[in-house]
Amino acid sequence: MLLFVTRRILFALALLLAVSFFTYMLFAMLPADPAALTCGKNCKPEIIEANRVRLGYDKPLLEQYWLFIKGFFVGRDYGVGAAAFSCPAPSLGYSFSQHECVTTLIARTFPVTFYLSLGAFILWMTLGIGLGTIAALKRGRWQDRAATTFSAVGVSLPTFYIGLLVLFSFCIWLRILPFPSYESPFEDPLSFLTTMILPWTTLAVLSAAGYTRLTRNGMLEAMNEDFVRLGIAKGLRRRTIIRKYVLRSALVPIVTIAGLDFAALLGGAIITESVFSLPGMGRMSIRAVVESDLPVLVGTTMTAAVFIVLANVVVDVLYGVLDPRVRSK
Amino acid sequence: MSNSPLLSVSNLCVSFNTPDGVVQAVNDVSFDLFPGQTLGIVGESGSGKSVTASSLLRLNNSVTSTTTGSVQLEGRDVLTVDEPTMRSIRGQDIAMVFQDPLSALNPYYTVGDQIAEAYIIHHSSATKDDVRARVLEMLKKVGIPNPEKRIDEYPHQFSGGMRQRIVIAIALINSPRILIADEPTTALDVTVQAQILDLMLDLQRETGMAIILITHDLGVVAEVADSTLVMYGGRIVERATVSEIFATPTHPYSWGLLGAVGSLDTSTRGHLTTIPGTPPSLISLPTGCSFHPRCAYAKDTGSRCTTEVPELHKVSGTSSSSACHMSDAQLVSLGARGDTL
Amino acid sequence: MTKRRIIGAVSFALAASVLAAACGGGSDSGGGDGEAKKGGTIRILTSGEQIAHLDPQRNYTGSDLAFAGTTMHRSLTSYKYEEGDAGSEIAGDLATDTGTASNEGKTWAFTLRDGITFEDGSAITCADVAYGVSRSFATDVITDGPTYAISYIDVADYPGPYTATAEQQAAYDKAVACEGNTITFNLKNPVADFNYTTTLLTFSPVPKAKDNGEKYDMNPVSSGPYKIESYEVGKSLVLVRNENWNADSDELRKAYADSIVYEFGLEEATIDERMIADAGDDQFAVSEGIQPENLQTIFENGDEALKARSVDYYDPYVSYTNLNNENLSCYEVRKAIYLALDREALRKAGGGPYTGDFADGFVKPALALDYAKSTMPEGYNTDGSANVEAAKAAVAEAETKCPDVVARAKSGLNFYYPDTPTWQKSLAIWQDNLGAIGFKLKPEAVEPSQYWPTVMNPETDYDIARGGWAPDWANASTVIPELFTTGGGFNLTRNSKDADYAEFEGLVNAAKVNLDRVAQGKQWQELNQYVVDRLWALPGSFLKAQSIWGSKVGNTFQWGPFGAFCFGNLYVK
Repeated sequence: MLLFVTRRILFALALLLAVSFFTYMLFAMLPADPAALTCGKNCKPEIIEANRVRLGYDKPLLEQYWLFIKGFFVGRDYGVGAAAFSCPAPSLGYSFSQHECVTTLIARTFPVTFYLSLGAFILWMTLGIGLGTIAALKRGRWQDRAATTFSAVGVSLPTFYIGLLVLFSFCIWLRILPFPSYESPFEDPLSFLTTMILPWTTLAVLSAAGYTRLTRNGMLEAMNEDFVRLGIAKGLRRRTIIRKYVLRSALVPIVTIAGLDFAALLGGAIITESVFSLPGMGRMSIRAVVESDLPVLVGTTMTAAVFIVLANVVVDVLYGVLDPRVRSK
Repeated sequence: MSNSPLLSVSNLCVSFNTPDGVVQAVNDVSFDLFPGQTLGIVGESGSGKSVTASSLLRLNNSVTSTTTGSVQLEGRDVLTVDEPTMRSIRGQDIAMVFQDPLSALNPYYTVGDQIAEAYIIHHSSATKDDVRARVLEMLKKVGIPNPEKRIDEYPHQFSGGMRQRIVIAIALINSPRILIADEPTTALDVTVQAQILDLMLDLQRETGMAIILITHDLGVVAEVADSTLVMYGGRIVERATVSEIFATPTHPYSWGLLGAVGSLDTSTRGHLTTIPGTPPSLISLPTGCSFHPRCAYAKDTGSRCTTEVPELHKVSGTSSSSACHMSDAQLVSLGARGDTL
Repeated sequence: MTKRRIIGAVSFALAASVLAAACGGGSDSGGGDGEAKKGGTIRILTSGEQIAHLDPQRNYTGSDLAFAGTTMHRSLTSYKYEEGDAGSEIAGDLATDTGTASNEGKTWAFTLRDGITFEDGSAITCADVAYGVSRSFATDVITDGPTYAISYIDVADYPGPYTATAEQQAAYDKAVACEGNTITFNLKNPVADFNYTTTLLTFSPVPKAKDNGEKYDMNPVSSGPYKIESYEVGKSLVLVRNENWNADSDELRKAYADSIVYEFGLEEATIDERMIADAGDDQFAVSEGIQPENLQTIFENGDEALKARSVDYYDPYVSYTNLNNENLSCYEVRKAIYLALDREALRKAGGGPYTGDFADGFVKPALALDYAKSTMPEGYNTDGSANVEAAKAAVAEAETKCPDVVARAKSGLNFYYPDTPTWQKSLAIWQDNLGAIGFKLKPEAVEPSQYWPTVMNPETDYDIARGGWAPDWANASTVIPELFTTGGGFNLTRNSKDADYAEFEGLVNAAKVNLDRVAQGKQWQELNQYVVDRLWALPGSFLKAQSIWGSKVGNTFQWGPFGAFCFGNLYVK
């Protein structure tokens, strides 16, 4: 187990190094010139060049990358003379468009994305597994048809338009909820809830669709398993069979997908954050793409990568817990 | 053998609704099972033998299937009792062993848990220690070496034969009066097959339970059963004691089966390759005797075989019953070939 | 970046500027109805993630200047907070008056008022203003701001206060001298309208002790009636009353609202929907820019109440097309190109009539003193349609006058365009139109962020390039010289080899130093006509924009110089 964990961690670190490296290299290949972006009226070659120096893009790519890695461990200094400042370790660089160290930016935007993802995740797993279970148990009846329709429609709906529709319906036409305005749950829990309820629900309903189908199919498949028949032949209650035999085996593949889905969400629920004006990491990373803000881009990409790597480890461990056959291998 | 049957099946019919049509899987099956008896039900796949067995525990899907007739167990009709009663019958009165021990065990729980679960459900007052002791006893009884260690292992850590022993332990932990074994050895190596059959017989001797052994292998029947039902196309085509079915089989299908036993070596026996043709589709059974398209003697009876379903009737001169239009004398004379075995 | 700027098809990424003189195109504002009163919260809804720059020396876009100038940053002078033409007149702000020129306009002096303070209550001194201006020299830290101070002030090689040596700093302190309450600017050349330049927030004070360079953008010290309570990028900027602001020292700012909240990061579709619904707090909100799909709902569907709280107006921008006059050194060819263009089709591709009206020059009518209707070339159709016959006639004339230029046009003109969907549509129209007179295009798609650097590079051999411009203050001195003289910052016409250029430059220089504003205006009118007569560049559109406000907001006029709300003086009805 210790070996397993150590190996995973080393692998994860190597992966992160590779992710950051490739983000740098990819960025260098983009046609947009970040130094020219804020140019315009002052767009003279010498100003663009000065911009390049200020942003650090004048240095060779490998040196830029080295400074980035070094900065992560020892912090990084910017500017000269009286205008100098620094981003302390672990520094992911400085965003000149947001006037803030990237680490600070991520520390500020990540919790928003995290709360959004976690709430939506809990809702959608409940909804998806719940509906899927009902559909499987009521196979062929109206409940099944309703759930199947829901999942077929749900996966094909565009988040952006459904988000807007939900937002307009509840906040503008019906005026049941105030317009989303994000507040930290520790400072203003009520406002937090009224802001998050719509994005949670939207994200959950749309994502639950796939899980409904997964659960339903997984359970129906499990119901045909011999061990389920043996369970019935033992005289077990139906409830026990569903829980210990059917759901249990249907859940194993779901855990894998759910873990990765959750991790992907932590990388930023871009559309949902945009529609509901949530100041999360997804929206920030989109902005970074538009503005060619490399430090933010690398920072958010790395954060997303950390969670995907982490989710993989968690899924592996959970998989072992859930399925003894995996554990002993 | 007592005179009053332990289990009495009469006019059992089971049909399934499938997207392709209604499948008449079991048709008018009747038989009695006596305490201590070992009844072999023989047939090809699709003959209705497994469905018959699972009907006895009401394991068929209640949404897609229809079951009629009656299954009397000590004055109760298994087909109509309420669900709690049915649960108490399952495992306690009638237990079941499935064909494939690899898939019959829940991979997510230890074998100890799964055996214990079967016990606890019918012994809710048992203490933890009692249960564990009982489980260990069963493991020992079914011949699992080192049970104290292996009780906490998972199914995938056992070989196929060992797993089937565990399934048997699950089935027998409540000392049921009837054990239904649905092809219990088919999925196992030949050497293991004999061990499992011996184990079942040993335990039967110990507990006096009755066994219904579902198999396509007459060789297995010959080894362990007292009497035999031969099924074809959802119906019983012959009922006989084991000695009679081998000495004087009274149905053309049985002749075919026996030919297969006699003509092939043990490694491939039971494959029934010597009967020409294929088993019938249960959605559209042939008219008349459903065996007639494959029967070498069908032409001898004029058009009866293609129009009239033969009744299962006592064949005079034997204690067997047969569902064939040929005359009893013909059946006896054609079937008297016991010397070939 | 506001939506308005995105709608203005030509003006993206052109870090903007300011215009003068109100215009009030079409329906005019819902201004001063009822009595203005104190209290309440004004909201500003935007899809932007933050104010581009709140640092006064870096702030350079119309709406942001109007916002920061009316709430937080006082400058030496300011436009009057008035609707209409009065809004482009200037008045003293931190200074007691609009300054005194001497030395033929090479020296300008401003006297600071009494009672002016920063948000911590400390007095604003001459040194604070001088320090603020000095920051704009540090272009490696204080980016994106106007550079007029650098080009006007008579100091050489001054790198800004952060890295200046003692000598360099002394030289600056001589050029921008403080004597008691009077700040004196010594300029390299005469600048007749320097007191318009000082409306830019470049001339706002910054307390040296609080200056943290690059990061000052997030927490600038207020000299106006509001100060920052919280500023979170992507979420909101909350301004509350600055109790240390001395109303007696300020003739312009009324500061009606108790607080002003800028809400960032809203979906554009959401903003319009909220503004149209006009419910709850949104009744106290204003928004600049309206999505094209909602324009009809607001302006044409007969909802008078809705129309009354929205405006379709001219923003400061003019769009036009630059021609390379070195390659296209023949008036008839330039004229043929202009007349062959179906400008109506091009406008439609860019978004239709709501994006602007056809321009008759490069100076907007809003610059009232400097604008006169131009005489357009013969054959020019005012409805925007092409005049293929007249264009062909011009080609025929050119065949004899300058066959080699015609030959170039027929073999293919280098057409540089930003690689965006709108411009791809426009390109097709251009190709079609010029094809009708036998000219060809060699299209060069440029990645949008690279467009200006590419065409501003003297090495780039374009024949045709886009242009878009807004004046930096209410004087065509920030238009004609910038766009058409070699010393200008945005001259893409390469007209210096034109036979008339020397004469033109002489006229421009004369206009620049004319201290008689009305006479100067006449000169700009003539110079605008001078350019139109030669078609060094092809006029496009006077661009328009749209804004909407909630039913309980007062003083919602569009402030001419900025084409924006006069944010600080908005009040809650």
